[in-house]
Amino acid sequence: MKKERSKKYRVIQILRIISQSLFFILFFYLMLQTHFPGKDYIRNVEIFFHFDPLIALTTIIAARAVFASFVFAAFTVILTFVFGRFACGWVCPLGSIHQFFSFIFKKSKLLKPKKIKNKLPTLKYYILILILVGAVFSLNLVGIMDPFSLLYRSFAVAVFPALNHAFSNIIGLMYQAEFYSVADPIAQFSTTLNINPVFAQAFFIGSLFLAVVLLNAYRERFWCRYLCPLGALLGLFSRWNILKLTIDPKKCIECNLCTIHCETQANPFPNDEWKSSECIYCFTCSAICPTNAIQFPLRPGPEKIEKIDLSRRKLILTSLVSVVAAPFFRLSPKSARASEKLIRPPGALPEKQFLEKCVKCGECMKVCPTNAIQPVLTEAGPEGLWTPMLVPEIGYCEYYCSLCTQVCPTGALKELTVPEKTQVKIGTSWINKNRCIPWKFGDPCIVCEEHCPVSPKAIKLIKTEVKTPEGEIKTPLAPVIDTELCIGCGICENKCPVVDKPAIYVTSVGESRSDKNQLKLDLISGSGGIY
Amino acid sequence: MKRRDFIKNMAAGSILLNLNPGLFAQEKTIPDLAVVQGESPSQITREAISALGGMSRFISKGDEVLVKPNIGWDRTPEQAACTNPEIIKTLVELCFEAGAKKVKVMDHPCNPAQRTYVRSGIAEAAKNAGADVPFPNEHKLKKVPLHGQHLKEWEVYRDFLETDKIINVPITKHHSLSRLTLGMKNWLGALGGNRNQLHQSLDYAIVDLAAFFKPVLSFLDAYRILYRNGPQGGRLSDVRLHKTVVAGVDYVAVDRMGAQFMDMSQEELIYLKIANERGLGEVDLEKLKIEKRKI
Repeated sequence: MKKERSKKYRVIQILRIISQSLFFILFFYLMLQTHFPGKDYIRNVEIFFHFDPLIALTTIIAARAVFASFVFAAFTVILTFVFGRFACGWVCPLGSIHQFFSFIFKKSKLLKPKKIKNKLPTLKYYILILILVGAVFSLNLVGIMDPFSLLYRSFAVAVFPALNHAFSNIIGLMYQAEFYSVADPIAQFSTTLNINPVFAQAFFIGSLFLAVVLLNAYRERFWCRYLCPLGALLGLFSRWNILKLTIDPKKCIECNLCTIHCETQANPFPNDEWKSSECIYCFTCSAICPTNAIQFPLRPGPEKIEKIDLSRRKLILTSLVSVVAAPFFRLSPKSARASEKLIRPPGALPEKQFLEKCVKCGECMKVCPTNAIQPVLTEAGPEGLWTPMLVPEIGYCEYYCSLCTQVCPTGALKELTVPEKTQVKIGTSWINKNRCIPWKFGDPCIVCEEHCPVSPKAIKLIKTEVKTPEGEIKTPLAPVIDTELCIGCGICENKCPVVDKPAIYVTSVGESRSDKNQLKLDLISGSGGIY
Repeated sequence: MKRRDFIKNMAAGSILLNLNPGLFAQEKTIPDLAVVQGESPSQITREAISALGGMSRFISKGDEVLVKPNIGWDRTPEQAACTNPEIIKTLVELCFEAGAKKVKVMDHPCNPAQRTYVRSGIAEAAKNAGADVPFPNEHKLKKVPLHGQHLKEWEVYRDFLETDKIINVPITKHHSLSRLTLGMKNWLGALGGNRNQLHQSLDYAIVDLAAFFKPVLSFLDAYRILYRNGPQGGRLSDVRLHKTVVAGVDYVAVDRMGAQFMDMSQEELIYLKIANERGLGEVDLEKLKIEKRKI
């Protein structure tokens, strides 16, 4: 028999790699564009998320609301119905990263593909069920494992900052070596990228991402194979697709190369064990086949056998586990009482609705011009993990900026115009007179007042009699806060010269989004903020 | 005017008079301050510079010039928290016309530079006139001795240390600690480090900084004045249209003139008093030759 590999499928493979690269570049281009664009409004940088049917489905179920922007997700679903999990193999940028590293690990002999027969590919379906059942209870956990959220968050919070740090060190070396003419334009360029440099959880989130990438050394595209809930969802839709793998029995020499090198355990050989729900149409099998026996002819209709091998018992068990687990996410006191440090970005919906919609993607963290928005660890209870909060010690809410509300893909941060945003109160600031320089030592310092962006200023200066530690009486101008005017932006805390623990600080009380987290009795009804 | 400059001028003047005794007859001496009022920020800027004898008096051919506006806040020009962009543009043009090789426009703002540079309109205006508009770059901070009476050393952006000429272009604003922020306080924008601590001794810091940075020209933007809620304002009602600029070599005198616009005497501005006592400049308007023009 003539042994010859298919040229056609080699070309298709190359086309696939080009497609993956283009979508990868597009993803990161949009991500890099997610910063202050030189004007007040920014458009469509979050578009990838709107093509994600998993995010669409869970958020629609959890929030019990329909979003117009998620019509794009329907497009992905239709594409999957017709062509199978094409999106996984040809579009998904996280999949491309996994495939790239699998390739690297294979070339460096860290990973030796072999024929595997285990039931692990079903794991992702159980993860999907956990997420969907959670959503029925308004528990939106999709952001933890959704591939776009995972990728975006990891890059915004860990990978980009790390690259930025390395880059900055290189620039620093150039300046030390006095290569000014080279270093100046590079430094200028790196500033225009607006990479937020510090994140409280950079190490944690970065390590998780690294772990997910390193799993590729154990199995090719480990994430896509075993873990990805979006892949599982698309797998459910792919049964009826028109591209069905067919092995020509006359040509097949039963070498098993196709199954060994299959990137997702779709099991091309034997032909009737091929699973369209696992196939991501990378065409590795058809390209690697030494006798050109594998084809993907157009053949509509469902597969012959029910392919997703989920046992009914386990399905029921998983659903039950989710039903029982959901309340555990809500036992935290955080859901009963507002947390002092949980200062949500402007436009954030009331906490319950916010948690239903937030998919923890990190768009707001990327776009924030002051690095203020940080991923939450414990402040919002377990369901609030990696949702955004403002940490004024790191950054503050820029007065004339509403970018975070514009890039939020699910409306967990309600889109606001800049004038609307300036009316939103996200917290209230307080003075710690024991640490404040005028209050404590009688020395002048008006830094908080000077930075207060509202007009008239929410920080007033009053002449105060202060007894200094030496017993001397001084009368400095000392800051006091008008809680009615304060919007909680946190610039006062950020700029306070008492560096370690600022003498002025913001807590969430008074935030416009909450009915309960309020300070003063509101005697004139109906003035409880813009929501 | 510094003593050395004064002696130099005297020497140059006496030579000129010997060569051309008719010079005195023209009675066209250069004023200490040019105060020009008018509708167009760029026209009054040109007029003020020409009243002082033209930009070539300050900028020589081949000079590298740093123009230091106030770009401190994320505010638009109408809000008068940052220097008027048209004034910056005109000054950059004048520098190039006088033969400057390179003009840089920069500041270290309080809000992120990426926003303030854009929203103040200054980056675009300066770039249109051909200037470089670098962001403050932490790698270029250098701790230098300031030889001040209070501030011994501080981190300064090297751009300010390694340029041939500096032109200071502040805007006239209210400030609740120093009362007014004008040219001398504008130097906080050349610093890195924990500059918010300077406020504990602000008037002395202002004077030490003013004595350290030696601008060849101080140019005060009083086209729009932020007369309350400074230094960043917010409401347009915090702004008063004054449509004036002040130019001069004596930076203390220029600030003194700015105080005049805000109806403040030299006694009310402690840093002016200190600067005057230290012989850095003149605060008595009577003693200054002021040329006022209206166009």
